[in-house]
Amino acid sequence: MKKEDTVKLISSEGMEFVIDKEAAMVSQTIRNMLTSPGGFAEAEHGVVTFPEINAVILEKICQYFYWSLQYSRGKETEFHIEPELTLELMMAANYLHT
Amino acid sequence: MPVLRSREIPPVPPKPPKARSKVDPPATPTQGREQPATRLSSPHSLTPSPKTAGSVSGSAPSSLRRSLRLSSKGSSNVGDQVGLPEVERCIESSNGDVSKKRKLSVDVDGGFESGGSRVLSLRSGGKVTKRSPLGDGDVNGGGGGDEVVESNTKGKSIAETEYIEKSERDNEKENVNRKRRFSSEEKGKGKLVVETDLESKDETLVNGSVPDVEVPAEEVKSPDEKPSKRSNRGTNGGRMERFRDTARRNASRFAYFNTQEEEEKEEEDNNNLSMEAEREIPSVEEQIEENVAEDWPGPFSTAMKIIRDRAANLNVRQGSSSSGQVPSVKINWVPQKGKGKEGSKRLAPSLLDLSLRILVDNADAIASLDHVPDALRHKLCQMLCDSRRMNSNLLDLLLSGSPTEIRLKECSWLTEDQFTECFEKCDTSNLTVLQLDYCGQSLADYNVPSTLARSPISLPALTTLSLTGAYRLSDAGLSVLVSSAPALRSVNLSQCSFLTHGAIEILASSLASVLLELFVDDCQSIDAMLMLPSLKKLEHLEVLSVAGLESVTDKFIKEFISARGDGLKELNLSGCGKLTDSSLKIIAETCSILRALDIGNVPKLTDNSFGHLASGCRSLESLKLCRNAFSDDAIAAFLEMSGEILKELALNNVGKVGHNTALSLARRSRNLVSLDLSWCRNLTDEAMGLIVDSCLALRVLKLFGCTQITDVFLCGHSNADVEIIGLKLSPLLEHLKAAVESPLQYSSVSSLI
Repeated sequence: MKKEDTVKLISSEGMEFVIDKEAAMVSQTIRNMLTSPGGFAEAEHGVVTFPEINAVILEKICQYFYWSLQYSRGKETEFHIEPELTLELMMAANYLHT
Repeated sequence: MPVLRSREIPPVPPKPPKARSKVDPPATPTQGREQPATRLSSPHSLTPSPKTAGSVSGSAPSSLRRSLRLSSKGSSNVGDQVGLPEVERCIESSNGDVSKKRKLSVDVDGGFESGGSRVLSLRSGGKVTKRSPLGDGDVNGGGGGDEVVESNTKGKSIAETEYIEKSERDNEKENVNRKRRFSSEEKGKGKLVVETDLESKDETLVNGSVPDVEVPAEEVKSPDEKPSKRSNRGTNGGRMERFRDTARRNASRFAYFNTQEEEEKEEEDNNNLSMEAEREIPSVEEQIEENVAEDWPGPFSTAMKIIRDRAANLNVRQGSSSSGQVPSVKINWVPQKGKGKEGSKRLAPSLLDLSLRILVDNADAIASLDHVPDALRHKLCQMLCDSRRMNSNLLDLLLSGSPTEIRLKECSWLTEDQFTECFEKCDTSNLTVLQLDYCGQSLADYNVPSTLARSPISLPALTTLSLTGAYRLSDAGLSVLVSSAPALRSVNLSQCSFLTHGAIEILASSLASVLLELFVDDCQSIDAMLMLPSLKKLEHLEVLSVAGLESVTDKFIKEFISARGDGLKELNLSGCGKLTDSSLKIIAETCSILRALDIGNVPKLTDNSFGHLASGCRSLESLKLCRNAFSDDAIAAFLEMSGEILKELALNNVGKVGHNTALSLARRSRNLVSLDLSWCRNLTDEAMGLIVDSCLALRVLKLFGCTQITDVFLCGHSNADVEIIGLKLSPLLEHLKAAVESPLQYSSVSSLI
């Protein structure tokens, strides 16, 4: 993966997730961060920090991004979510507009 | 009374009759924009065949002066006869030439009876008049004669004569004027503007504020121009030719009009006439208004005529002349195969939805709802209530801490004990929104004090309260509740069948200055007239819903709206079966900032209501109809005038909706988001396709019961954003998902403090 096509998402614990830009753009919030004019640090460096989202949830979210891309390309599978994560995942998803 | 019937009253003597084109004034805009919209009504006056030769002589001249006509309320003949000399006189006063011409025509008229061949009846579909572009006199005579004969039949000749005369007078200029006027009208703009260059010899006739008066005004101006026109007679030959051609073309259109429609137009004319006559003869107006209960404002009736003529036009063009049958306007739309849907990416379900679904499935495993924002709580509760998984444990979770908003759209599972238990220990000091719909089983007078109204300050922040279906709550219980919630802004007491007008009195006494929204749908024990005094005390009421209250009458509406209507933003009168057009008239006149109106299931409303609405409520964004008896034309005309700002429109089971409405929707409703056309069986695939492809903001289209819609539309339309509900086996309840609401519909809570 080329550097220019990726973004880095950092969880509250500091764990970093490097994913495709296209995948990250599934989240409306991240899309706005990266594309809005205004010289935001996120857009410049391609790094977004989420101090309120822990690593487990953020990982699940990244998995969702790729699943979503896959789904829209035609491959419709099921996205499994562990029930324990659901509540926090829901709130994170709400925040990320995804 | 023939005098009253014909609308067009040329106040001045006729110009040299140039061409018939003047006669067919109110052609529809689509007809080449030659005719002024105000003349629309005149076609009716162009009676087809000259049946009665009797009143020929009298009718023509009397039409020249409107005041004359009105004053001569006797028999048409008599009146005409009387009017004739008067006409001649005034003609002479204005223009000697004109009078001369007038006489000519009169003579012709007299001699006409013997020579009936001069005029071709319109009904025959042929040329309206047989004019030869000879000298003025000849033409004039011919024109006069023609007019007389033609208009004579139904006593509407008056209008005709003048039109013919007029046409000859100021062809080009008037044509231009009419064109201009027409196009502005066609654009659906409100008032027609009287041309400034029009002068009137008859002040009473010139009335800039009444669009319909344009006609007489225009004609008034003719005599002035006549002299100048007469000077260049020579150049008029070509124009006359043109006008004749126009007349030829339009004649067959008029030939289509049958008695029924002419009478319809007559009624319209009567209405318009009544407006014009207001200044002159009040008695006449009253008489007219007695006969015709409508007094549509000019622009709306004009729009209606445009719509009607649009259909009639097409009909004639197609050569058919089926009388008595409203032809359906042709709609050009072809399905674009896969245009907007080319591999439209299937949107993956959002992570939020996925997680919510899992939460609902595992609701019992939820340990805590702390830190979950209110919006998410509401969504969760909604889905839980829909799937009937809501229980008291979850309610405890919701009530834990110091909740700010509680929205339970369905509490029928909640028993009285559970309710008491849950709410006894709930800290309600921060509660701003409390919605316990269908809580009849749980809420009664005796447990209000122990749960919700534990102290006079137990609900200090409560702005929105909804206790629908609390059938055991009486006025006393409500009183206790309200006394603990002094900041209430919105109260929904729908279906609380125990409450009487005393409840409204209680609300008015403590919340008169703050209450913004009141819903008392289906409260069967509340008598509308008895609660009227209390309602009037609510100073800032924005939303009132009295759906289903049979005691709501015209009198109630009249008194309430006069008192508080100017602040109303939403009014729900669905199911108030006793209301008639007069209520809508008052609403339209007073409620200028009305944004949402629901008049479904009010069967007595007629098209006049639309006339009132179109001219009155200019901010209307949401209109809901259901099972109303409105005609296709009326709805189409309303959309032409007010369709731009409309966001939500429901025409559920308004059976007469047809192609005219579809066309108007497509042309005007750019901001329409939600459209309900369920049970509108007259709409074809083409009409639907046109609507959906033109209303680009449309997101929801409900088509329940529209079995006539096929895949031609469903697969052929190119609007990718619209969701069509009701045809296929789609999850029906999806469309019932309410958006998360803010505490108040039209104000924000912070603005109140």
